[in-house]
Amino acid sequence: MDKVMSNKKMIALYVLPALLLVLVLIYVPIVLTGYYGLMKWDGIGEMTFTGLDQYAKLVRDAAFWDSAGHSLLLAAFSALSLLGYLAAALVLAGEVKGANLLRKLYLIPMLLSSVAIAQLWAKIYHPTNGILNTLLGAVGLPDTVEWLSDTSIVLLSIFIPIIWQYAGFYILIYYAALKNIPTSLVEAARIDGASPLQIALRVKLPLIAGVAKMTVVLAVVGSLKYFDLIYVMTGGGPNGASEVMASYMYKQAFSSYDFGYGSAIGFFLLLICLAVTWLIRKLTSSEEVQYS
Amino acid sequence: MSQRLAAARAEAGPAGRSAASPVLKTLLYAALALIAVAQVFPLLWLAVFSLKDTQEIFTKSPLSLPASPKWENYEKVWTEGNIGQYFFNSVWYTVAAVAATVLLASLVTFALTRMKWGWKKPVLGLFMVGIMIPIHSTLIPLFQMFMKAGLTDHPLSIILAYTAFNLPLTIMILLGFYETLPREVEEAAVMDGCSVNRIFFQIVLPMTASVLATTVIINMIYNWNEFVFVNTFISSDTLKTLTVGIQNFIGQYSADWGAIGATLMISILPILIAFFALSNQIVEGMTAGSVKG
Amino acid sequence: MAKKSTSVLGAAALASMLALTACGGGNSAGNDAGGEAANAGAGSGSAEKITLKMMHLWPAGSSKQQNMIVNDIISQYQSDNPNVTIKQEILENEQYKNKLKVLSASNDLPDVGMTWAAGFLTPYVKGDLFAPLDDVLGGGLKDSFVSGTTEAYAVDGKTYALPLELNITPVYYNKAIFSKYGLEVPQTYADFQKAVDTLQQNGVAPIALGNKDRWTGSLWYMYLADRLGGPETLKKAIDRSGSFEDPSLVQAADEVRKLVDGNAFNKGFNGLSNDEGKAEFLSGKAAMYLMGTWELPNFTTNESIPQEFRDQVGFFKFPTIEGGKGGIDSWVGGPGVGLFVSENSKVKEEAKKFVKFFVEKWGEQSVTKAGVIPATKVDTSKVDLPQMYIDILNELGKASNITLFADVQMSPAVAQVHLNMIQALFGKEVAPEAFAKQHEEALKQDAG
Repeated sequence: MDKVMSNKKMIALYVLPALLLVLVLIYVPIVLTGYYGLMKWDGIGEMTFTGLDQYAKLVRDAAFWDSAGHSLLLAAFSALSLLGYLAAALVLAGEVKGANLLRKLYLIPMLLSSVAIAQLWAKIYHPTNGILNTLLGAVGLPDTVEWLSDTSIVLLSIFIPIIWQYAGFYILIYYAALKNIPTSLVEAARIDGASPLQIALRVKLPLIAGVAKMTVVLAVVGSLKYFDLIYVMTGGGPNGASEVMASYMYKQAFSSYDFGYGSAIGFFLLLICLAVTWLIRKLTSSEEVQYS
Repeated sequence: MSQRLAAARAEAGPAGRSAASPVLKTLLYAALALIAVAQVFPLLWLAVFSLKDTQEIFTKSPLSLPASPKWENYEKVWTEGNIGQYFFNSVWYTVAAVAATVLLASLVTFALTRMKWGWKKPVLGLFMVGIMIPIHSTLIPLFQMFMKAGLTDHPLSIILAYTAFNLPLTIMILLGFYETLPREVEEAAVMDGCSVNRIFFQIVLPMTASVLATTVIINMIYNWNEFVFVNTFISSDTLKTLTVGIQNFIGQYSADWGAIGATLMISILPILIAFFALSNQIVEGMTAGSVKG
Repeated sequence: MAKKSTSVLGAAALASMLALTACGGGNSAGNDAGGEAANAGAGSGSAEKITLKMMHLWPAGSSKQQNMIVNDIISQYQSDNPNVTIKQEILENEQYKNKLKVLSASNDLPDVGMTWAAGFLTPYVKGDLFAPLDDVLGGGLKDSFVSGTTEAYAVDGKTYALPLELNITPVYYNKAIFSKYGLEVPQTYADFQKAVDTLQQNGVAPIALGNKDRWTGSLWYMYLADRLGGPETLKKAIDRSGSFEDPSLVQAADEVRKLVDGNAFNKGFNGLSNDEGKAEFLSGKAAMYLMGTWELPNFTTNESIPQEFRDQVGFFKFPTIEGGKGGIDSWVGGPGVGLFVSENSKVKEEAKKFVKFFVEKWGEQSVTKAGVIPATKVDTSKVDLPQMYIDILNELGKASNITLFADVQMSPAVAQVHLNMIQALFGKEVAPEAFAKQHEEALKQDAG
């Protein structure tokens, strides 16, 4: 066993192509981002080395910390929403009639590009003839909510489409993981008299713990660097009320021509992701379950 | 395992059984159906959207039907710009990048979970950090690298970038599954004197068919809808993808939203079909896997 | 007007001269095949093959006419100069700006491209990426531009781009709504305030605004600042010879606040894009809309907007404020995109030649074919245009001042502060004094 599976040449052959690609195309930019973060540079003219000045600016930049707070909040929301997706996947992977069709229908929104999703939600949230306010009005509730311009609710308004956008992605992963569980194990539990709920909680969940842990990391990291819908739907506004770290970084680098500062934010964002990932792994470092 | 089952058995009292009462079941189905309607709605909405003109889209209720369907939106999309060429490019960039990503990621995941070597942790760490960098900080460095390599305005820049940026995510998804795969079969194979390649390609890879289908779907959707890399690295019109079709209708001060809707509809169809086909694979893969497991 | 006609004639003469010299006295360029044949003969002795890269933001889908003119001009130039091939790259506005940034950072700009004036262009000039075009402007070309337009692209006395568009921003209004509530075109700001109040009391949104894009709200602030403090106060605050905490600039912010308090704008404006804001006006739900003259086609020739609506639209000049220093003929607006030549282009001379050719040809066709008012002078007596265009062009001729859009005037970093503050001001999240103070601080920091 050991001899075959520890063949250095084979290991290199399996790992190196992907590793090289990632090192060259992702790590070189990461290192350069770190380097630009030490510079004063508008992205056009001369670069001047300013050491940690950009980071000192970042520490004092209240607008950045607001955006970081919003990103962390989004990360928390996304992580919580995983419970809902898991429940949906459990139901779909169970013996529900028509599950096969339902599953496909549930994943449709995931195919839409951000442009389409942004348009859809702009129509839902429109203050006067939007779908949401029309529905609220129809059932006699206040129908004049300004979903995207009221600074006290814009953040929540923007989180909902983001979480909805990723529903398909996570349901798909959970579904595949659940379907990967050998039917024999589930059968055994059933014969032992366990209810579907008990099977889900005590047999299925522990078996997909590794996948679940991975999705938590993905959801949190993905939220921390989230950009698309926020930029299209509110541009981080009004006046920064829905700004997140990535949109703030983008604006600094590409709109304010402060590429040095933008890079510092980008690099800092990476550090935050690392710290949070480390924390998640610490908190969830229980033993992995395997079929054995 | 047996302990857990015992625990499950112990709690499988009468209360647990009642979960399947008809009322609850009806409620469950009602909820499922309601969610299904909500999830299909965007597609129907988009179809209606694509048959309106900008005027109607912005001044009428989003739920209203077009006064007269504007089929000319589709005609416009079809005749202006090389949509055929874009379509072809989208397909082949997506297929090439998805194939490369899923294969390379599977190889790495196999090596990380099944083979014996030091440095596993740091290597895994290197891949994981890859999902943490915001794409906009990479644009300028990447462009400069591709420029030096003579790859700007070349399909390879797109395929390489898609592959590299999707590898970490794909590896992470695969890892979770590889760790739960039963090892008996491959252990037996090693005993029988199978080579690593044989074990990977003929035993492990088929066992992961369902998760492969999952990662293929995810990669496919990401690559199909991507436009920042295409815009940055590609300048020739003949090398661009369907996503530029959308930009074709965004003007300096306002946009032709009806035509954008038609472009979105046209570009979602192929991926919808591919998705339905692959999505069956998840179930079939599962059956194949369970036979072996 | 007479003065204008002569300069237009001059430009035309110059253009035809250029065409003649370019063709080497052969057949005129009118006939495509003939022109090419003639050039093939003349071209045998001429220079090596040249490829010019040009980047612009007029895709065929959304900007059909502009795109067609560009293609016409290019094919004309190519047939006049058979050794030259012009390759276009087209991106929409936002992506265009992004790519320009990436290309600049990599020193790989196209030979010819589009830029915006003042604050947008300065970093590129400071970074030595744009070539001075004063030699192109010499020989009479400068006179064919409306005065003040090329200056917007000048840094330290040199001009770095040639403008293609010139816009001013009138207040469009719905005549049917106005007459329904017995309103007249307001002559003074007090009249305007009364009109706003009448409209909102009758449940009509007085003003259409989509302020998610932020520059849309900036237009309102700019006019109030102009009418209160005169055209110089804001300019001076930005160029640092004055202060943003000037009382008139603070008061202008306060007037915005009053408009918001008086329900002058449609609901939820801070979360709506300009397209969505405009829809309030186009659907007859809002009575007024302050926007650039690039909207003129929507109120004149655009067939997808109902004729009866187009007939209802008129425009008026932003009313003057009693006791304020700004006159009625002072406008907010200015040149839009202009053409630059890359300083590091390997074919810089050819690129300059092409830019000159382009600007001239563009000036002849843009307003009649695409409804775009060019920065070169237009002789209204010679072209067949809808009345509203004629009126606007006449106003342009009478203009006492055109204040460049604030976000273009300012450096990119300050412009971002300005735009955010505008949104905050309209959302009543910042007091007028704090609004001015934040501007002042950003401007100070940027200058120092």
